[in-house]
Amino acid sequence: MTEIANHFDEVTALLYLEQQLDPGRAGEVSAHLASCPACRGLLRALESESLWLRTALAAEEEAVPAYLTAAPQRSETHWGWIAAFVLATGGLYTLWSGFIQPWYAEASQAGFTQGNLLTMLFFSSAFWKGWDSMRTLLEFLPLATLGAIGIWALRKQWRHFTPIAFVIGALIFALALPPSAVAAEIHHGDPSYTLPAGQEVKTDLIVAGERTRIDGDVDGDLIVFSPSVTVNGHIKGDILGFGQEIQVNGPVDGNVRVWCQSLTINSAVAKNAMTWSGRTELAEKATVGGTLTMFSGASELDGRVAGDLLAYAGDLDLNGTLGSDANIRGDRLTIGSTAQILGHTKYRGRRQPHIDEGAKLASPIDVTLIKRGPNYGQIAYYWHAVLLWGASFLFGLLLLFLFPAFFARAVNTANKAGVSIGLGILLLFATPIAAFIACITIVGLGVGIATLLAYAIAVYAAQIFVASWLGEKMLGIGSGVGPAIGRLAIGLAILRVLRMVPYAGPIIGLLIVVWGMGALALAIHRSIRTEAAPA
Amino acid sequence: MDERKTTGTMSEADLARLLSQVRAGDSDAWGELYRQYAAAIFRFCRRVLPAREDAEDATTEIFMKVRQKLGTYDSSRPFTAWLYKVASNHCWDTLRRRRIRQDLETGDLDTLPLEHPDPSQIERLQAEHTSKEVRTGLAKLPDRARMALALRYYADMSYDEIADTLGVRRAFVGVLLLRARHQLRDALTQSGAFSALKASAGGKS
Repeated sequence: MTEIANHFDEVTALLYLEQQLDPGRAGEVSAHLASCPACRGLLRALESESLWLRTALAAEEEAVPAYLTAAPQRSETHWGWIAAFVLATGGLYTLWSGFIQPWYAEASQAGFTQGNLLTMLFFSSAFWKGWDSMRTLLEFLPLATLGAIGIWALRKQWRHFTPIAFVIGALIFALALPPSAVAAEIHHGDPSYTLPAGQEVKTDLIVAGERTRIDGDVDGDLIVFSPSVTVNGHIKGDILGFGQEIQVNGPVDGNVRVWCQSLTINSAVAKNAMTWSGRTELAEKATVGGTLTMFSGASELDGRVAGDLLAYAGDLDLNGTLGSDANIRGDRLTIGSTAQILGHTKYRGRRQPHIDEGAKLASPIDVTLIKRGPNYGQIAYYWHAVLLWGASFLFGLLLLFLFPAFFARAVNTANKAGVSIGLGILLLFATPIAAFIACITIVGLGVGIATLLAYAIAVYAAQIFVASWLGEKMLGIGSGVGPAIGRLAIGLAILRVLRMVPYAGPIIGLLIVVWGMGALALAIHRSIRTEAAPA
Repeated sequence: MDERKTTGTMSEADLARLLSQVRAGDSDAWGELYRQYAAAIFRFCRRVLPAREDAEDATTEIFMKVRQKLGTYDSSRPFTAWLYKVASNHCWDTLRRRRIRQDLETGDLDTLPLEHPDPSQIERLQAEHTSKEVRTGLAKLPDRARMALALRYYADMSYDEIADTLGVRRAFVGVLLLRARHQLRDALTQSGAFSALKASAGGKS
């Protein structure tokens, strides 16, 4: 090919072949072709290459996923819309009448007047009087909704999840801190921290360390993150503790709020105590001036509680004095001979409580026994199921309207049941562990809290995707909003019914959670890859 | 130029009737339309997007868009052209968001050799490689090159449509296609050399 000038170039050959040249140039090329075997050869090669490419691209060797080719079976728009409308109205009404109104009434009755938002929400004992409705609300609808909106708003920064989690955590932390905490002494243990006896911290004290020992006094709040915490000094504010073992031996003028494995109170707490712990002990000489709120495994209350007792405990031994009402939920309740309850006692649990003869109760204990498993004979049980269904349906609608493409993606992903379930099992167990580990360190607290929040949302949202998948299997994959809502409604209803099946129900529930969670995680993974894959 | 890939065969009149039914909100008609084209669109996505999962997602999302945008479709033009336009825009957006599109590629001819290639070499490549190998080779090409070949030789798009989808000048489409062919030939030659090397190494041991 030395006489390039006489030949046309390869681009021209291709354009000629694909009839993209203007007539004048095409004529020139035709004329040249007639006399040039080399160019004819090139043209022939390019032409066969075109054919070869078309054949290769059109080859249908790979199976198309069945769910993509399955056509919608029939129209479900009308009933989908009607069902959606009726169900959504029902859901809204039940949400208002069943949850928001009673809770609102209780909240205003309790007269929240002070403190910041988070204090009011989580730490005010009066709030937990609304525990019954709160428990149902723990289906996480509002929290999940807020979280979803937050994540949606931040989705572009999704790659920078860790800083975001940290910022959110810091925000929550800032919200939770009372204004006086602005001036605080902060210590990082090296690796442990001790405030020696006789010393006094004049402001709030924030400590993180392996072992924390407070022998001196704190003229403010004590906020502590440490596996082992011993407080022997006088705390004039609140104790806010996150740790493994927390022991309070010195007097506390404010509240004690802890999240730990084991809490022991040996001293006087002037205001309220609240604990989320595996084990809680209120020693004989200990007193709580206000309300004691416990979410605890094994608990022993030998001391005196002046206010109400609100306990959600596995195993509760009550030997001390309760100055007011007791509202207890648990697996087992023992009221010892030295116990004294001046108010009314309500107990809900699986077993009949054991009450020693010497125990002094102002009124007979009000016992509600919970049967193992649901009470199929009660209409309330079914009504409750309807409420839960309504809440999940509303949440599903929200997801559907806020993130339609992501919704479809997650439902598609649910088709890969094996992968989804595998990943879901891993996430279900690994996430809380990872979050807990993150929470132990002060830096990771934000990450930990954000992870737990996301985890709770994921656990709740899981059913939405499995339900839509199920709806799709039943009704076909017609596109549009109406059918999507119909599929969601019917899928959720079926899942709800399946969960009510005796014995198998909880297993089905677990399966739904792991399956949906896995699908959700895979879909998020794909979204991140799609939106922000590295170059 | 409307021999684009579909899974079913449907006369123009049938298609027009179906489309008007879909526009009137008939879900059955939409189902039929979906059944006709879903597999073809999936295959298209499969050829231009890197992963199978991406193609599955994209197919669903494309049909969501089609349903939304059907009102903007001009029925005097071929439906498949419009459908592939929606699909290719979606896929191209997906790739662009991944920021692995070669924005540096311009209309220059520098990288194309001026000499004629040896026709026998081109023909030998065709004889030596299966369709599957060609598609594997395609997957190795830069996004724009792969996209151009799929738009032209799978979706049967015109040069104007390709230029519009990829955001290039029409005059550049030919160069783009030719360069893509060169890149594909190179990829296949390399893989061929690699397998030959492997075979000879295997023979020796």
